[in-house]
Amino acid sequence: MKTILPLILPLSVLAACQAQDSPDAASDDSAVAFASTYTPQASTNVVLRNAKIIDGVSSEIREGDVLITDGKITFVGSGDVPAGTKEIDVKGRFVTPGIIDIHSHLGNYPSPGVEAHGDGNEVTSPITSEVSAEHGVWPQDPGFDEALQGGITTLHILPGSANLFGGRGVTLRNMPSRTVQGMKFPDAPYTLKMACGENPKRVYGNKGGPGSRMGNVAGYRKNWIKAAAYKAKRDKGGDYDRDLQLETLADVLDGKILVQMHCYRADEMIQILDIAKEFDYKVTTFHHAVEAYKIGPELAAADTCAAMWADWGAFKMESFDYINENVPFVHAAGACAMIHSDDQNNIQRLNQEVAKTWADGNRAGLNISKAEAWKWLSTNPAKALGILQETGTLEAGKRADVVIWEGDPFSTYGRPSTVMLDGAILFDKATGLKPKSDFRLGYADLTEAAK
Amino acid sequence: MRTLLLTSALILTSPSAFAQTLFLDDAIVVDAKGNQSTADVVVENGVITQQAATLSAPAGADTVTGTWVTSGLFAPMSSLGLTDIGSGGPGNDVASESSSTNVSERAADSFNPRSIHIGNVRQSGVTHALVAPRSGSGSIFAGTGTIVSLTGEFDSVLVSDAFVMVDLGETGTRRAGGSRAAAMAQFRAAIDDADGFFKRYSDAPDGGDVLSRQDALAFNRATRGDIPLVISVNRAADIMRIIDVKKANRSLDIIIVGAAEAWEVADAIAANNIRVIMDPLHNLPETFESVGARLDNVMFLEKAGVDFAVANLGALGVTKPATLSQHAGGAVVEGLEWADAFAAISSVPASWFGIKDKTTVVWDGDPLEVTSAPIAMSINGKPQSMTSRQKALRDRYNPTNTDKRPHKYR
Repeated sequence: MKTILPLILPLSVLAACQAQDSPDAASDDSAVAFASTYTPQASTNVVLRNAKIIDGVSSEIREGDVLITDGKITFVGSGDVPAGTKEIDVKGRFVTPGIIDIHSHLGNYPSPGVEAHGDGNEVTSPITSEVSAEHGVWPQDPGFDEALQGGITTLHILPGSANLFGGRGVTLRNMPSRTVQGMKFPDAPYTLKMACGENPKRVYGNKGGPGSRMGNVAGYRKNWIKAAAYKAKRDKGGDYDRDLQLETLADVLDGKILVQMHCYRADEMIQILDIAKEFDYKVTTFHHAVEAYKIGPELAAADTCAAMWADWGAFKMESFDYINENVPFVHAAGACAMIHSDDQNNIQRLNQEVAKTWADGNRAGLNISKAEAWKWLSTNPAKALGILQETGTLEAGKRADVVIWEGDPFSTYGRPSTVMLDGAILFDKATGLKPKSDFRLGYADLTEAAK
Repeated sequence: MRTLLLTSALILTSPSAFAQTLFLDDAIVVDAKGNQSTADVVVENGVITQQAATLSAPAGADTVTGTWVTSGLFAPMSSLGLTDIGSGGPGNDVASESSSTNVSERAADSFNPRSIHIGNVRQSGVTHALVAPRSGSGSIFAGTGTIVSLTGEFDSVLVSDAFVMVDLGETGTRRAGGSRAAAMAQFRAAIDDADGFFKRYSDAPDGGDVLSRQDALAFNRATRGDIPLVISVNRAADIMRIIDVKKANRSLDIIIVGAAEAWEVADAIAANNIRVIMDPLHNLPETFESVGARLDNVMFLEKAGVDFAVANLGALGVTKPATLSQHAGGAVVEGLEWADAFAAISSVPASWFGIKDKTTVVWDGDPLEVTSAPIAMSINGKPQSMTSRQKALRDRYNPTNTDKRPHKYR
C-alpha cells in the first residue's frame, strides 16, 4: 500500500496543475479530455514498384509506383525516388488506400460477447448525449486484429441505437494498443450518434417514452431547443453550469461534432433533414439507410452521406425494403455513398461487400468502374468522418495507410497481403506478422501448436 | 464481352424471360462432384437442351459468354419460410417461446412457400434449403425440421419430417436451466424416453422422464436412426460429449452445426461418422465456446475426411442463404478445392436428405465469386422466375429508369 500511494499522488497533483495552467480549457474541456496518444510505429521509406493503383480519387486503375517517406505518401504514379530508398516490386498487385469502416462496434461490443462486455449502449434514457463510445472500448477486442487483416486501417466506433441521442462516437486508427487513447485518430472530430425509428420507441415505449415515431421526433426537437438555449448561454461567455449532455448537442450546432444517424426508412430520413433545417445543424451521414435508394436526389441536395450494407435486410420491419443495389443507386444519384459493416465479421471483408453491390449495380444498368466504386470503401467514409485531408486516398502528403492485395479486391478470392498504417507494416501475410490480442494468448498458443 | 453479358442479364429480368433461348458459348459446366469442363450449351427456359464441345447458336438465341452452368445450391441451414421479418411479432414461426410441445413441432407446418424471401433468396442460385426451427424456452429440442425446394409452390416441402433439431452448447444450457450438465441430462433422458417409447408410454401418457408422449413419439424416428439429429454445438469438449452419446447409441445419425472448434477433434468426428455443417468465415472468439474459432477449421475437417456442408451461420437472419456461395468461396481462400467447396453447398447436403431434384443454374461468372449472379434457373425442368420483390423495388427506383410518373405508378 505504502509503495503505491506515492506513485498515485504526483499524478493527481500534476493533473490539477495542468487544469490551473490552462483556465480557458473549462469552456471547451471536451477538446482536451482523453487526448490522443496515437504514435505511428517505426517505418522504412519505401517505393512500391509496378503496382495496380486504386487511389480513391481517380475513376481509373493506374499502373505505377507509390513512394512512402516518413509514413506519408510522397507520390503516386511516378516521381523521383531518393537514393537508398527501399524498393518492393509488388509485381502488378493491387495497391489501395486502407479501408475505413464508418460503423463498427468493435471494442464496445467485443468478442467474447459476454454480458460484462456489453459497453456499447447506455440504455438508461432516450437522451444520453453525455456518454462517449471511447469510454466503452476494450482495446483487446480480437476483432480489431482480424479487421486489420481485412485491410481496415481506420474505424469509427459508435454507441448503439436504443436512444434518440446515443452519445459521442470516436474515430480510431486500427493500431494495436493497450489504450483507446493510443488508437484515437489525432484531431478527428467527435461525432454524435442519433437514432430513428423502431429501436428508441421499442426500448423506451414502456419506460416513459418515446413510444412512437411521433414521440421520437418530439424528443429530438425538445432537446435541440434546450441545446440552442445552452449554446446561447455559452456563446455569451462568463459563468454557466457545464452540462455534458447539452455540451455535445451545442457542439453539433457549432459544427464541431458531426451527426451520424441510424435511420432506415426514406420518409423518416426526410423528416430528419427537416428537423436539421429547423435547428440549423447538418446531418453528416445516415447509417444503415436501407431505403436511401428511394431518396438519392434528396440526399445529394442536402449533402448528406449514406452508409449502407450490400445485402442486409428483413431482420426488422424498417429493413424490409432492402435491395442489393442500394449503394450504387445512391452513388448514381450523385450523393455520397459508402459501405459499412456494423458487424465484427463483415468488417473483415468489406471489399467483398462492395464488390457484390458494385456488380449488382452494373447488372442493373449502371456503368461504375472498380476505381470509382472503391470510394465507397475509403474516400467517402473519410469525408463523412471529417478526416479526408488525412487519409482515405492515396495522395501525396497523406498518411500512408495502404493495403497491398493478393488477387483482386473485387473478388471472393482477393485478400490483403500487407497492411500499412502511417507507412508502418502492421500485417504481412508472407512473414506472418500480425497483432495478437491479450485475450488470444494461451488459447492461440494451443491453436498454433496443433497446426 | 462484359457489356454483352450485362445486356443479356437485363433482358432476362423482364417478364419475357421464360421465352428466352440462351446460347452459352464456351460455358464452364460443373458436374455434381464440382468438377469443371468447357462446352457450348443451349438453354431454353432455364433448361439445358443441347450440350457439346462445339455447337452453333440456334436462330434467335442470345449468345452469352463467360457463363458457368451448375446445379442449384442447397442451403444446409436456414429459417426460410418461417418468418417475414426477423424481429418478433406474429408471423415469426422460427421458435415457440411458450408452447408445451417440442420435438413434435414440425417446421413443415409453419413453412410458407409464398414467403417473399423464397423468391429473393432464389435469385442467388439457391434451389433447396434445410429449414430448421430454433429452440424456445424450457427445452433443448427445437422441433422437427424440413427440406424444401425454392419453387414457391405449395408442393415444395420435399421431406416434411427430415430431422430433429437440438440445441446444445450455450444455447442448450440456457434452455435446460443453466448448465451443460442439465442440457446433457435432458438430452440423454429424452433419448431413453424415445427408445423406450412403448414401455414407458403405453399405460401412462406422462410416463417419460422429460418428453411428453407425442414428443417422444416424434423423437423416436431419430433415435431409431430413420432421420438425422441436427445438433448445434461449437466447443470441442461439447462435441466429444456428443461423440460419447453416439458411442452409447450407435443408431443415432448425427449432424452437428456450428462446430467452431471441430478442428481440435476432427479425427474423432470422422471416426464416428458424424457430419458437420460449418461456416468457413467464422474466426472470432465470439463466445467462450467458440474461443478456438479459426478460418482454416474447414481444412482440418477436409484432411480428417469429415463429411461436411458449408452454410452462412453469421448475422443475416432469414436472408442468410443469399450469401451461401460467398461463404463457400471463403473455404477456397483457405485452400479447399473449388470442387469440394461447391459440393459443400450443393450435392453434399442434398445427398444427406436424398434430394434428387434436377436443377440447373446459369451464372454470369464463377458462382463462388461475389460479383456473379444467376441469369437463368430451372428445377425439375420448370423454369424459375428471375424476378423477386427485391428486383421489383430495384426496377421501380433504378436511376436509369426513364419513367417519370410518380413512383407508385411505375
